[in-house]
Amino acid sequence: MPEPPRATVGVMGWLHQNLFKSWVDGTVTVVVAAVVLWSAYTLVVWIFGAADFTAVYSRFKLYFVGQYPVDELWRPQLSLLGISALAGMAWRRWRDSNRVGVTFAAGLVLITVVIALLPLQMGLLNRMMLLLNPVAVAGGYFAMVIPRVGADRLFAYSMIGVVVVSLFIIPGATWIPGLEAIDAQAIGGLMLNLWLAVIGIAGALPFGILLALGRRSRLPFVKMLCVAYIELIRGVPLITLLFMSRHILPLAFPGQFSINELYLGAITITLFSSAYVAEIVRGGMAAVPNGQTEAARALGLSTWQTTLTITLPQALRNIIPPMVSQFISLFKDTSLVFIIGMLDIIEMGKVTIQGNLEFTEHGREVYLFIGLVFWVLTYGMSWVSRIIERALGVGQR
Amino acid sequence: MTTVANEESTVATFGHLSDEQVQDVLAKPLDQRDDIIVCRDVYKWYGDFCVINDVSIEVKRGEVMVIFGPSGSGKSTFIKMINRLEDHQRGDIFVDGIEMTNDIRNLNLIRREVGMVFQQFNLFPHLTVLGNITLAPRRVRHLPRSEAEDRARELLERVGIPEQAEKYPAELSGGQQQRVAIARALAMEPRIMLFDEPTSALDPEMIKEVLDVMRELADTGMTMLCVTHEMGFAREVADRMAMFDEGSLVEVAAPAQMFEEPEEERTKAFLRQIL
Repeated sequence: MPEPPRATVGVMGWLHQNLFKSWVDGTVTVVVAAVVLWSAYTLVVWIFGAADFTAVYSRFKLYFVGQYPVDELWRPQLSLLGISALAGMAWRRWRDSNRVGVTFAAGLVLITVVIALLPLQMGLLNRMMLLLNPVAVAGGYFAMVIPRVGADRLFAYSMIGVVVVSLFIIPGATWIPGLEAIDAQAIGGLMLNLWLAVIGIAGALPFGILLALGRRSRLPFVKMLCVAYIELIRGVPLITLLFMSRHILPLAFPGQFSINELYLGAITITLFSSAYVAEIVRGGMAAVPNGQTEAARALGLSTWQTTLTITLPQALRNIIPPMVSQFISLFKDTSLVFIIGMLDIIEMGKVTIQGNLEFTEHGREVYLFIGLVFWVLTYGMSWVSRIIERALGVGQR
Repeated sequence: MTTVANEESTVATFGHLSDEQVQDVLAKPLDQRDDIIVCRDVYKWYGDFCVINDVSIEVKRGEVMVIFGPSGSGKSTFIKMINRLEDHQRGDIFVDGIEMTNDIRNLNLIRREVGMVFQQFNLFPHLTVLGNITLAPRRVRHLPRSEAEDRARELLERVGIPEQAEKYPAELSGGQQQRVAIARALAMEPRIMLFDEPTSALDPEMIKEVLDVMRELADTGMTMLCVTHEMGFAREVADRMAMFDEGSLVEVAAPAQMFEEPEEERTKAFLRQIL
């Protein structure tokens, strides 16, 4: 039997096939390469030459945790340790199938250890707690070895546990002993963006699914209510909703109406995103072939059982890509809470630049840093979603 | 022919009847058995278009009836009325003594008694073969998982693919998928099985393995309504054949009569084309 023909031969073959196949290809390649290389060169020259990152590293605390009281920093630190433990658990659980867990664990260890060793002003306790993150990773890793509990169940419960604990431990509340309530404006920086994003995703997913089911309902009143809600929310920009929640709601409910801006932001973002999630879920459910429902009904499953065991699981699996896009956009939208007076990482950058005369010339460095932080986190999200897709065999079965 | 355990046929057949009772029923000639399906003057419209036009027919317990006719003649719509995936708008349908109405309790009772196999298999792609078969017994009949799985493995043995239990549908050939679909329907211990063109989406090589399973099932005394154009199967297995055209029941006859001397011109013309 003859050998199959080789598609390309070596590096030169690849270059010819992909970059220089025709005159047009070759010209485009040369022009684009020149532009990219020149931009990269000037950026590198600037970073290592004229750029001054004092505005970034001298205000590290502001960017990460805002004006959170120094004596209470053990609370977000505890949340961070929980996240490290989750990364360790994910590492052990999916050790043989993907690198999500190990990458996250390594990233967290690297960042926390580097920050702990930097000559920044922070108490010994905070330094020690940062250095505990590698220990938390190891703890999570070995917790998964305990054979008695199912690994998936342990991981799921731990994740819910970390989310719920973070929900309460960071802002605190008067009714929780030992966790005094923190002023909403003191919760800021990247911590605020992450807190809002986690709460927003954890709330918008179930609420959005309920809205989607409601929109498919045969009960006209339920259907109408859900359609009205979705269309109303989608017709208004988030920035307007945030503004209204802060300035118009108190007019409608005069007197005792005072809700912490942090919760106001979380609720508004959740309500906003759930309308979009609902439409994504509805699209996913509509894409499940009619024969699936017919088969389930023919077996005697009720309408609800059919939805919960057949339609919804298939729909959720198929909508991972648009859903992750939605959550990435939710994460970026969290910075809009500056409208209600919160100081997220971007607002913190702006305040730093404008509030210090020596930094007014160094806005580019600050925004480069903030952009990098956002990019790393959002790219991480889309990377994880691709791996989940592959693991679930989307498009293959 | 594949060997399917015939001596252990407790899973299929009439559900509530013992093996001896089943044999008694099968021993009787068709005209002395009672009717398990009765349709009287049934009509259905899509808008102004009449898809089922005055159909009256009875199906006997343990009977195998093959339904055939040109596409668009209402065959599929008709058999989907037997488990009310489609509703009828005039006339009466009784299945095993239960009248087909919109009463949700009747509906669930009927669907437990009537299994269905589709042209496109309609297996659940996100569940394994075992998951597909055990879903309804666990959710509807509330069988414990282990029991449901044991029975699912027995059924897979019967349809000849016990080794595929842990796979996902997309990993199976069309013929294997359709056999899983039959096992899934049988897992609910139905008294009636509906087949909606079960071999039309299959490669010629796989048609035989599915027909063999259906043949075995007919031998156990299952009441079967099969929409199919496999005339060899009809000649060999069917007790009676029903010809549909433009929503009407043109002719009902035993295979010998239907193939040798059909009464209606329409039937003759159609059979001449497909034989």
